[in-house]
Amino acid sequence: MARSRRRVDTPFLVAGLATAALLVVMLYYPVGSVLVEAVFADGRLTLAPIRDVLTDSLYFGDLAGVFAGESPADLLRVVLAGEASFGRFGFTAYQAVLSTLLSLAIGLPGAYVLANYDFLGRRTVRSLTLVPFVLPSIMVAAGFAAMFGSNGPLNRALAAVGLPTVELMFTLEIILLAHAFYNAPLVVRVVAAAWEGVDTRMVETARSLGASPRRAFLDVVVPQLAPAVLTSTLLVFIFTFMSFPIVLALGGFQLATVEVFLYDRISRLQLEEAAALAVLEAAITLGLTYAYLHYERAQAATRGVTARSRQRLFARLDLARLAIAGYGVVIAIVFVGPIVSMLLASVLDASGGFTLQYYEFLLDRRDAVVGTQPDVAIRNSLAFAVGTLVLAVPMGVVVALATARDTLTARVVGTFAMLPFAVSGVVVGLGLLQTVVFGVEVFGLQLQVTGAVAIVAAHAVGAYPFVVRTVTPALSSMDDRLVESARALGASRTRALLDIELPLVTPAVAAGAAFAFAISIGEFNSTVVLVEGGDAYTMPVAVQRYLSDRTLGPATAMGSVLLVVTSVSFVVIERLGAYGGIE
Amino acid sequence: MRRRTFIAGAGTAVAATAGCVGYTGGNEGDGVVTVATYESFVDSEDSIGPWLKENFEADHDAEIEFTVPSSGINQYIRRAQEGADIDADLFVGLNVDELIRIDEELDEPLFDSLAGDLERSDRVIDDLRFDPDGRTIPYDTGYISLVYDEREVEPTTFEDLTDEANRGELITQNAQESDPGLAFLLWTIHEFGADGYLDYWQQLEDNEVRILGSWSDAYNAYTNEAADMVVSYSTDQVYNGDTPRHQVGFLNDQGYAQPEGMARFADAPDADAATDFMEFMLQPEVQGVIAERNVQFPAVDDAELDEEFASLAHVPPEPVTFGYDELAGNLDGWVDEWARQIVE
Repeated sequence: MARSRRRVDTPFLVAGLATAALLVVMLYYPVGSVLVEAVFADGRLTLAPIRDVLTDSLYFGDLAGVFAGESPADLLRVVLAGEASFGRFGFTAYQAVLSTLLSLAIGLPGAYVLANYDFLGRRTVRSLTLVPFVLPSIMVAAGFAAMFGSNGPLNRALAAVGLPTVELMFTLEIILLAHAFYNAPLVVRVVAAAWEGVDTRMVETARSLGASPRRAFLDVVVPQLAPAVLTSTLLVFIFTFMSFPIVLALGGFQLATVEVFLYDRISRLQLEEAAALAVLEAAITLGLTYAYLHYERAQAATRGVTARSRQRLFARLDLARLAIAGYGVVIAIVFVGPIVSMLLASVLDASGGFTLQYYEFLLDRRDAVVGTQPDVAIRNSLAFAVGTLVLAVPMGVVVALATARDTLTARVVGTFAMLPFAVSGVVVGLGLLQTVVFGVEVFGLQLQVTGAVAIVAAHAVGAYPFVVRTVTPALSSMDDRLVESARALGASRTRALLDIELPLVTPAVAAGAAFAFAISIGEFNSTVVLVEGGDAYTMPVAVQRYLSDRTLGPATAMGSVLLVVTSVSFVVIERLGAYGGIE
Repeated sequence: MRRRTFIAGAGTAVAATAGCVGYTGGNEGDGVVTVATYESFVDSEDSIGPWLKENFEADHDAEIEFTVPSSGINQYIRRAQEGADIDADLFVGLNVDELIRIDEELDEPLFDSLAGDLERSDRVIDDLRFDPDGRTIPYDTGYISLVYDEREVEPTTFEDLTDEANRGELITQNAQESDPGLAFLLWTIHEFGADGYLDYWQQLEDNEVRILGSWSDAYNAYTNEAADMVVSYSTDQVYNGDTPRHQVGFLNDQGYAQPEGMARFADAPDADAATDFMEFMLQPEVQGVIAERNVQFPAVDDAELDEEFASLAHVPPEPVTFGYDELAGNLDGWVDEWARQIVE
């Protein structure tokens, strides 16, 4: 603990202040300017908007009565009778829990295979786990509708082998599947990274002391995976809790989440109710984050270890490999199927014939008088993503260092560092709009940010929590004595960080960096606000712009370009990372 | 390639007649007319925006610049509320519900009156006018209708939609976030009244109506054959041709009209040039091109429409719609009650 009392080095101070300044300008102030509506009316402090939402049965069902002062015993009676409803918040949490469980069920076996088996293209597959992240929801919805529709490939295949067909469209099940499409890869990535870091010597030691493989797994491997599994569980829950377009596109309004109503309230400028909804949403997700941070420290985490040896995947067929083959079928249905359907949509015309007209349209667009040009969008997306990487990784490391220890302050700061995830994208967008886009006066200076720089800053703010969440567990499990020794030998704090700590947590930093890149490529809400008709549009914005036509063609063509460009860049990044000693 | 030859041909035709309008405004601004509008106006395949820019600039000493605010008209309402400057001259693509929101949110006028400023405003079809204060002038209209597969269903009345035979076959859009979804809801309120529409929707729900998010969500599900009827526009065949899967259905011989209007900002930097642009958009030839490229119907009674377009785009026998006065004060309540009933 003596370490924290030492004088802080100048580089640290500068990085810390820059991070704080950026967060204030691009996040806390804009979001605050929206949320303040929930607690201020006519310049006076009030809790009326929040109370109104809490006591509205639309949002809280039978719980609303309890918030309004009715006896909880009544609620208990309805619950026991099995007739309780918990409104939109209840439903939203319910589907988020199911979505998270399904994402874990699909993701964890993937992490196991990637960490323990070797096969041709293993690293490419790992790189591609980032791809679902960047796909616009409209296209994922289109791919899912095509794949899982009544006459889709799944049902045709089922019918062909004599199995009963399934009606998945407009059900909760298809929403859960689509959520798993987005989030299971996240589980794979985070957990596989931790699994690769499990020290095989510890397992061998346990085995040599007489533990069964099962015992060794439970006692040695599981505790080391726990932080990664918890991290991904938390992230998946937050993401699916805030889900909106997927829910409406595949399930319909009957399955609307809180976010659907939040979006509606903002588009009708009912800002008080919107702010109250956003505050309650954030309270739930941040509360979970705080609780999680409380337990995270108790877990062991990734440390520098000997490289593990992997089994060859394609060898003699045993039970494990048979199960993996079955898993491969699931992956093909849930991931490959929708993506292929989406790609097909870009080359089929209204009557189902092959056409390249949508790609010709993209080519024509390059010299259009007015409008969105695909090559500009590609260039912007890549440039912003690199910018985000450069900005978000130091920000994330700084925040991780500040929160790596288990103190109350660290937990509170760590919780607020997660705000970009916990606050609805529409709220962030509106906040940016009415502050930095319209212009704010700071100390007599008119401050107005639009365009490329602002977009990179906004992306970095949205991406850095990933770096924090992957780096913090690694940092906090590191032996303090290593840094202490370096300092005692005369190294500055910065030197110790660069020479001792960072090299030891490199895999975690690299994992976070890859996420930062992906977040930037896929970001839509704040980008579209900050572009405002300018030239700084990105690939997802271009997809959205080409969408407004009666056919999905041009949008899916642009989406396919997005898919190819990002797939290639993810593979390239990870290959470059491997050359730099990161795997 | 086809697109360019078309522009060249149509452009010459327009230039020949539009020449007499000319740009005569007292050039007080910078000669750049900034037009705020929505995405598909400028950015879909063959959209109308680039055509308007090219052809207007060919005859007028002014430049057109489009801007597409991500939050639409809300952007300017918020700007006005926050005292930020408004850097556009006119807004193209206003619906009546947005006009009502403007009037509810703002005390100061956002748009000024066009009374007497537009020569051709008297050619605008009376039924399409939706602004009692004359700030907004319609430039096109859509009619909300059903698109259905005639091999499977044959919807002709509202009752057909609640018929057991059509269980689970109707897809519509969320009225909270989608224009056609809202129009369909208003259509049912027009038919069954403010006291009766929720009962009708209960019957629709009992018959498993699917309410998806945006028009694209709904249409995409229809394309994937998730159902045999979808709420859409009566111009559907312009895209898909007169095929069995793309029949246009007018319930009770009606279609809900959804006119789109344009309005000039009260402190438009280039008011005169903006007015000229609006006048240009109301020319008979230009109205024909707007109809084709925006896939909507013209707003004037003397538009020059392409024959093929006219034969594929269907006008309902009895267009219905709600005016400003009927919607003001009611709209939010109607939508809210509907939303509560659906999700509870």
